Amino acid sequence: MRLDRHVGPALIAAAVATIAFVWATPFLWTLVAAFRPESAGSADMASLLPDFTPTLANFRLAFESGDFGLYYVNTIIVVVGVLGVQLVTISLAGYAFARLEFPGRDVLFYVFLVQLMLVPSALIVPNLRTTVDLGLYDTLAGVMAPYFASAFGTFLMRQTFRGIPRDFEEAAAIDGAPWWAIVWHVLLPMARPGLIAFAIVSVTAHWNEFLWPLMVINDPANHTLTIGLATFTKGAEGAKEWGVLAAGTLLVMAPLAIVFVAFQRRFVESFVFSGIKG
Amino acid sequence: MHVIRRLGAGALAAALVLASSAAWAQTKIEFFFPVPVEGKLAREMTRLVKQFNDSQKDVEVTAVYTGSYDETKLKAQAAAKAGKPPSVVLMSANFNVDLKLAGDILSLEPFLAAEGTTREKFLGDFWPALHANATVDGELYGVPFHNSTPLLYINTTHFKEAGLDPAKPPRTWAELVDAAKKLTKRDGEKIERHGFMMPGGYDYLGWLMSALSMSNGGRYFNESYGGEVYYDTPSMLGAARLVEDLVYKHKVMPSGVVEAGGVSTAFFAGKASMVLLSTGSLSFIRENMKTPYDVAFVPRNVRNAVPIGGASLVMFKGQSEASQQAGWKFVRWLSSTDVLGGWSRFTGYFAPRKSAYDTAEMKEFITRNPDAKVALDQLAYAQPWFATYQTVAVRKALEDEMQAVMNGKKKAEQAVKDAQRKADELLRPYIDQTALKLP
Amino acid sequence: MTVDAIITADVLDVPSSPAQTVHRRRPPSWGLAYALLLPSLLGLAAFTYLPVLRVAIDSLYVTPHGAGGVTRFVGLENFARVLGDPAFRQAALNNLVYAAGTVAPSVVLALAFALAVRRSTRFNAVVRTILFFPSLVPLVAAASLFFFIFLPGVGLLDYYLAKLGVSGPNWIGNTDVALWSIVGLTVWKNAGYYMLFYIAGLQNVPRDHIEAATVDGANAVQRLWYVILPALRPTTAFVVTIALIHMLTAVDHVVVLTKGGPSNATNLLLFYIFQEAHENFDTGKAAAATVISVAALLVVSLGSLRGMEAGSRREA
Repeated sequence: MRLDRHVGPALIAAAVATIAFVWATPFLWTLVAAFRPESAGSADMASLLPDFTPTLANFRLAFESGDFGLYYVNTIIVVVGVLGVQLVTISLAGYAFARLEFPGRDVLFYVFLVQLMLVPSALIVPNLRTTVDLGLYDTLAGVMAPYFASAFGTFLMRQTFRGIPRDFEEAAAIDGAPWWAIVWHVLLPMARPGLIAFAIVSVTAHWNEFLWPLMVINDPANHTLTIGLATFTKGAEGAKEWGVLAAGTLLVMAPLAIVFVAFQRRFVESFVFSGIKG
Repeated sequence: MHVIRRLGAGALAAALVLASSAAWAQTKIEFFFPVPVEGKLAREMTRLVKQFNDSQKDVEVTAVYTGSYDETKLKAQAAAKAGKPPSVVLMSANFNVDLKLAGDILSLEPFLAAEGTTREKFLGDFWPALHANATVDGELYGVPFHNSTPLLYINTTHFKEAGLDPAKPPRTWAELVDAAKKLTKRDGEKIERHGFMMPGGYDYLGWLMSALSMSNGGRYFNESYGGEVYYDTPSMLGAARLVEDLVYKHKVMPSGVVEAGGVSTAFFAGKASMVLLSTGSLSFIRENMKTPYDVAFVPRNVRNAVPIGGASLVMFKGQSEASQQAGWKFVRWLSSTDVLGGWSRFTGYFAPRKSAYDTAEMKEFITRNPDAKVALDQLAYAQPWFATYQTVAVRKALEDEMQAVMNGKKKAEQAVKDAQRKADELLRPYIDQTALKLP
Repeated sequence: MTVDAIITADVLDVPSSPAQTVHRRRPPSWGLAYALLLPSLLGLAAFTYLPVLRVAIDSLYVTPHGAGGVTRFVGLENFARVLGDPAFRQAALNNLVYAAGTVAPSVVLALAFALAVRRSTRFNAVVRTILFFPSLVPLVAAASLFFFIFLPGVGLLDYYLAKLGVSGPNWIGNTDVALWSIVGLTVWKNAGYYMLFYIAGLQNVPRDHIEAATVDGANAVQRLWYVILPALRPTTAFVVTIALIHMLTAVDHVVVLTKGGPSNATNLLLFYIFQEAHENFDTGKAAAATVISVAALLVVSLGSLRGMEAGSRREA
C-alpha cells in the first residue's frame, strides 16, 4: 500500500516528464538551430547540444526574408476580425435555437450543421469565385468572410444556453426586460466560459490557417504569418537554410508562447467553468 | 509599425499625385516569381525589383514571391481565373506550351514588332538551346531569364579516399556505377555514406529522368507536338532501370524519395559523395560546401544530352493595355545583359544571353570559378525541356511511377508502361482536338 | 424525427409544426428568430450552400482544359472517372488509415495527458504548456520543422536513432512509412489541444462520485473506468468531433511536406480535390470528388453530432 502511494505517482511523473521531453524535442532543436552557424547543413546539425558559438545571422536573414511585423499585424487583424463577427452571429443564432420556438427550427439547425464539415478549404474553387464576385479577392476581408457564420459556434452556444436554468431569464422577463436585454445582461455573462472556449478554438484555427489565405492573397502587404513562413521555407530547386527556417519559426512562435504562458491559468480555468463538457 | 508607415506613405503619395498637375500615371503591376534555391535569391530578386522601381517613375512593380515553380504556376493561373492576373510571371521555362494552350499568356510578338525588331534578331543573343522553350508555334511567348542544366557534383576528398582520381569524374554510366560502388561506405548492413544520390521529389525527378533518358539517346517528348511523350521506350526504360539498379542492385543510392533539400544537405554533411543537382544550386553549394568539391557533365550512356531548366518571363492575358506596356518595360529591363549577368553570378544559373559572357565581370568570374565554366560548356549538349499539354500532370504520371520504383514497389518495365498509359489518357483531350481530329 | 423525415416534410410542404400556431397567440419570437438567424444564414448561403450548389452543378460538366475547351454536359461520367481513378481510391483509403491513426490516438493521449497533469502544480503547468505548444505553431511551420526531423541520415530522428545503433526508414520518402509519419506529425500537433478540453472536463467530474467510489473500495483503474470515463462522455464526443473535422480538412502538411507523394502514398481527399482543381484543371472531376467527399463527411458529422446531442441531453 505504501509502495503504491509513492512509486505509482513517481513512475507517472517520470513517464510524463519523458513524454514532455519527446514532445518538446522539435522546439528544443529549433531553439538550438536558430543560433547555429552553417545554416545549410553539417553532419551534426541535428544535435540538441549547443556545441558551437551562437550567431544571430539567421535571425537577421529571417527578418530580411519577410516582413514579420506586417505578417503579425495581418494575422491579428484576421483572427480578431473573424472572432468579433463570430461572437455576434453565434450568440444570436444560438439564442434563437436555444430559446425561441419557430417553425422549421430543427430543420434549420441541421442545415446549419452541414457547414461543420464544409470548410472553405474543401470548397476552395467555388469559394474563390464567390470571393472574387464580392470584390474581396486579395483582401484580408476576403480571408475572413467565409468564417463569419460558424455552425460550430452556433451549436456550442445553443448547448451553453440550454444549460443555463431558465429561472434567470424568466425573472428578468417578469421585470419587463426585452429579449436583447435578457441576452446581454443575463445569458451572455453566464455563457462567458463557453464563449471563451469557442474563442480559443476559433483563434487557434485561424491563426494556423494556410490553404485558404494562400489562394486568396497575393499582395505581400496582405500576407499572413502562415503564408510568410511558407514562402521562406520553400525553395524550388534545392537546398534549405535550416538555421533561417528555425529562426523564422521561432519568431512566429515566441509571442504566442509568451501569451500562452502568461494566460495559461486563465485559459484552463475558463474551460473548467464552461459548459465545454459538451 | 510597418502598416502605419505604409499607410502614411501611401496617403502622402496619393496626396502628391492628386496635387500634381502633371498627368503621368504610374502603372502598378504585379510580378510573381518562384525562388529556385533558397531565401537568399528571393531577397536578391526583391532588391532587383526595388532597383527597377527606383530607376524610373512610370512603372511600379510589386514583387510577389510564390514558392516553387509548380506553386507559382498554380497561383498565377488561379489569380488569372479570379480575374486579377499578374502582369509578369517568372515561369518555369517548360510551362509555355501548357500556358499558351490554356490561353493564359500573351504572345510577345506585338511587343517585338512595336520595337521594330524580329524574333530572330531578338533571340539571336540568346543561346540556341533556349529558343525552343521560348517559342510556341513559331511565336515568342517567353523571354529566358535564368537557365540551368543538371550537373554532377562530386566530393573530391571522398574520391581521393576511395582511390579515385577527382580530376577524372565519371563520364559514362558504367564509370558512374563503378565510382559509386567504390565511394559507398558500409558498416555491416548499414550504409554510412552513399556513393550517389539524386532528388526524387516532384518536378526535379521529372527533369532528371529527362536528363537520364536523353543521355540514353531518347527525346522524352515530341518537341514539335505537345501531345506525345515517350515513356514506354527503350531509352526511358534504360534510364528507369539505371535508377532502380542504383538503389537495389548496386545499392549505392538510398531507397525511397529524397527531396532536393535532403540531397544537398546530405552532400554538405558528407553523407553523399556524388549528387545530381541543378547548376542553379551552384552558388549555394559553392558557399556552403566546407570541403572541396568539383562538378562534371551528366554521365552518358549513348550520348551527352541534357535538358535545360530554368525560367522565363511570361506575361499573362487579361491585363489592361497600360499594364501590358508596363510589364514589357519591366521584362526588357530584367532581361538586359547586365541584370542577367549579375543574377547569374549571384545564383549559379547561367545567363541566357551570350553577350552576358562578353562582359569583363563575367570573364573574371568564370576565371575565378571554373565550376561555372563546366556548366556553361555543357550547354553545347543542351536540349529543350519537355513541354506538353498539361505538362505538370503528364510529368507526374512518370514521377509517380518512378517513385514507386525507387520504393521497390514496381519494376522499371511496369513503371514506364503504366506511366505511358496514364500520360496518354491525360493527353487524350488534346489529341482528339488536333492529331486525331479528322475530317 | 430523423433528418430524412424532416427534409421530406419540408420538401412536400407538410407543415412540420401543428397548424394551431396560426390560431394561438403567434409567439413574437417567430420573426425575431429569423432575424437573429439572418446574418449567419447569409454567411452560410454565400460560402457554404452556394458553393455546394455550384460544385454539384460543376460535377455534371466537363470543360477540357485549354483555350478551345467547350463545356459539355456529361451527367455522372465525372463520378465514374473519380471512382475509377486509382489516385482517388488511394486517397480515400489513406484518409481511412489517417483517421484511424490520428483520431483515436490523439484522443486517448489527450485523456492520458489530462489525467496525468490535472492538478495545478508548477511542474504540471510547465508540462501542459509543452504539450499544448504544437497547436500554436501553424501546420506549415511544423511541417517544415518535421521535414528536417524526417531528413534521411542527418535529420533529428535518424541522428539520434543512429546513436542508439538503429537505422530508420526513409520517413517521408518511403511509400509504406510516409503516411504514418504524417500521422505522427498530426498527433504531435493535436493531442495537447484536445488535452485542454479533457482537463476542463475532468474538473467537472463530480467529486462526490469519485469519493463514493473510493469508499466502495474501487482502485484507480476502476474509478477511471466506471466513474470518470462515463462522466467525460460529452467531452469525448466533442473532442472526437473536432478531431474528425481536423482529420478531413487539414492537409497543410501534405501540401508542404509530401505533395501527396511518394506515389500517392500520402494523398488525402482534400489534397486530391485541390490537385485536380488547380494542377490538372479538371474542374468536373474535382467537383465530383468534392461531392463524394462532402457526402461522406456529412454522414460522419451527423453521426458524431448525434453522439454529442445524446451526451448533453443525458446530463441536462
